[in-house]
Amino acid sequence: MAKVKALKCKECGREYPVEPIHVCEFCFGPLEIEYDYEEIKKNISREKIKNGPNSLWRYIDLLPVDHPEVGLAAGFTPLIKAENLGRELGLNNLYIKDDSVNHPTLSFKDRVVAVALSKAKEFGFDTAACASTGNLANSVAANAASAGMKCFVFIPSNLETNKIIGSLVFDPIVVAVDGNYDDVNRLSSEIANEFGWAFVNINVRPFYSEGSKTLAFEVAEQLGWKAPDAVVAPLASGSLFTKIWKGFNELKTVEILDKDEKMPRMYGAQASGCSPIYKAFKEGRDFIKPEKPDTIAKSIAIGNPADGPYAVKVAKESNGDMEIATNEEIIEGMKLLAKTEGIFTETAGGTTIAVLKKFAEAGAFDKDEVVVAYVTGNGYKTMEVLEGHLKSPIHIKPSLHEFKEKVIGQVVESSEK
Amino acid sequence: MDSMKLKLIYPEDKIKEPLLSKMCKTFDVDINIRKANVQENIGWLELEMKGSDEEIERAINWLVEHGVEVSPLEGQVFTE
Repeated sequence: MAKVKALKCKECGREYPVEPIHVCEFCFGPLEIEYDYEEIKKNISREKIKNGPNSLWRYIDLLPVDHPEVGLAAGFTPLIKAENLGRELGLNNLYIKDDSVNHPTLSFKDRVVAVALSKAKEFGFDTAACASTGNLANSVAANAASAGMKCFVFIPSNLETNKIIGSLVFDPIVVAVDGNYDDVNRLSSEIANEFGWAFVNINVRPFYSEGSKTLAFEVAEQLGWKAPDAVVAPLASGSLFTKIWKGFNELKTVEILDKDEKMPRMYGAQASGCSPIYKAFKEGRDFIKPEKPDTIAKSIAIGNPADGPYAVKVAKESNGDMEIATNEEIIEGMKLLAKTEGIFTETAGGTTIAVLKKFAEAGAFDKDEVVVAYVTGNGYKTMEVLEGHLKSPIHIKPSLHEFKEKVIGQVVESSEK
Repeated sequence: MDSMKLKLIYPEDKIKEPLLSKMCKTFDVDINIRKANVQENIGWLELEMKGSDEEIERAINWLVEHGVEVSPLEGQVFTE
C-alpha cells in the first residue's frame, strides 16, 4: 500500500489524485497530502530513522516522495544547546535549530525545495521555476542545476542584479518582469497554471511545503524523541509555522513520539513592518488583510500570506502567541545570537531571537522548559543590514606602546565598567 | 478563453459600491464566486474570472484602480 492516499482540500475535505495541483476546484481551498498513517505506522520506527541517511530523507516515510533524487544532503542541521543565550534570557533549556548551515544554499528553503523538486522529477517535469530574489531563488537554482533541470527565476525588473548573484551563479534563466511585486505574483500564477513546469510554491506547493515538517522531526529526534515545550519560529507565508506543528503531531500519530507526549506551544515572530498574520491573530480575525511590506526582514516580508489563517489557528490551538520586532530589535536580535552563540543569522533569525527575548522577558516560558528557536537563514547573505550597527576597529600605529595604551587600556577600561 | 483564480479584498469605503457588477458590464469577462465573507467593514471574495487574457487583465486593472486588492489565489508567491 502507498503511504500517500490522495490530495485533500484543507477546507472542504474533497479528495483529488496525487498530481501537480494545489487548489480545490470547488471551494478554492489549498490541497494537502493525505497520508495513510496506519500503513506508515507499520513501516516506520526510531531504529529505521536512526539508520537512515544523515539528511532530511531519513524521514522519507512521512514525506510525499518515493525516490528522492534532488537535495540529497539537505537537512539534519545542528540543534545547539544555547547555554549563553539561555543564561541571558533566564532559560535553562534553550536550543537553536540552526538551518543557517543547510545544504546547499544555507537556508531552510533547501528542505522544501529538495522535496518539491524530487517530487517534480517523479512527476516527469524537466523545468523548475520560482519568483524570488532571495533564499528561495538560491535554492531552486542550485538544486535544479544539480538535478539537471532547466530553471526559470522571475523578478521585478527594477531590482539590482547584485541581489541575485547568489542565484545567477547556478545559471538559471532569469526573467525580469516590467512591473512591481504584485505584477510578478500574478504573472507567476498564470505561468504556473499554463506551462508544464514545476513552479515550486504554486503548482507543486502541497509537496513543497511538506519539506518543512522535517524541522520538527529533526528537533524531536535530536531531543531524544521528545517534543519541546515551546517553539519560536518566524512567520512569512505561515507555511513553515503550520508545518512544524504538523510535524510534531504526525510523529505522535505514527507513535514515534509517545501517545501522551505533550505538543509544543507555538510562538510566531513577524517584523513590525510586515505583520499581517500577527494582526489577524491579535484582532481575532480568520482572514488576512494584505500589507505593503516595509522592513529590513525581507526574507519574511510576505504582505499577502497564503497560509496566514492556518498559522493563526495553530498559535491558538497550541496555546501559543505571536509577537513583532522593529528593525532595531531585529538587528539587536542578530547581534545577540552572534555574540552569545557564535551563530550569524539573517534578519529572519534576528526577528525570531528578538521575539524569543520578548516572550522570555514577559514570562511566557518556565525557566526549565525546553524552548526551541528556529534560525532559518544565514547572515552572510545580507551583511549590508548591519552596516553602521557594529563596533569599528581600533586604529593604531605599528607600535607596542600604542597597542598597550589604545587597545589594552581601552579593553581593560571597558571590562571594568 | 482563459481563466484566473483571484482573491479580492474590499476596503471599508468600497463595500457599498456595486463594483463587481459594474466590472462585468464594462468588460467581457464572466465571474464565478466560490467563497466570500462580506461584513459591514470589510469584504473578501474568492472567484474565478473567465475571458480573454487581455480582457481579464483590463478588468483586474479596473478593480485595482477602484481600490480593490486583487491577488492571485496563491497569495504572495514572490519572496525577496
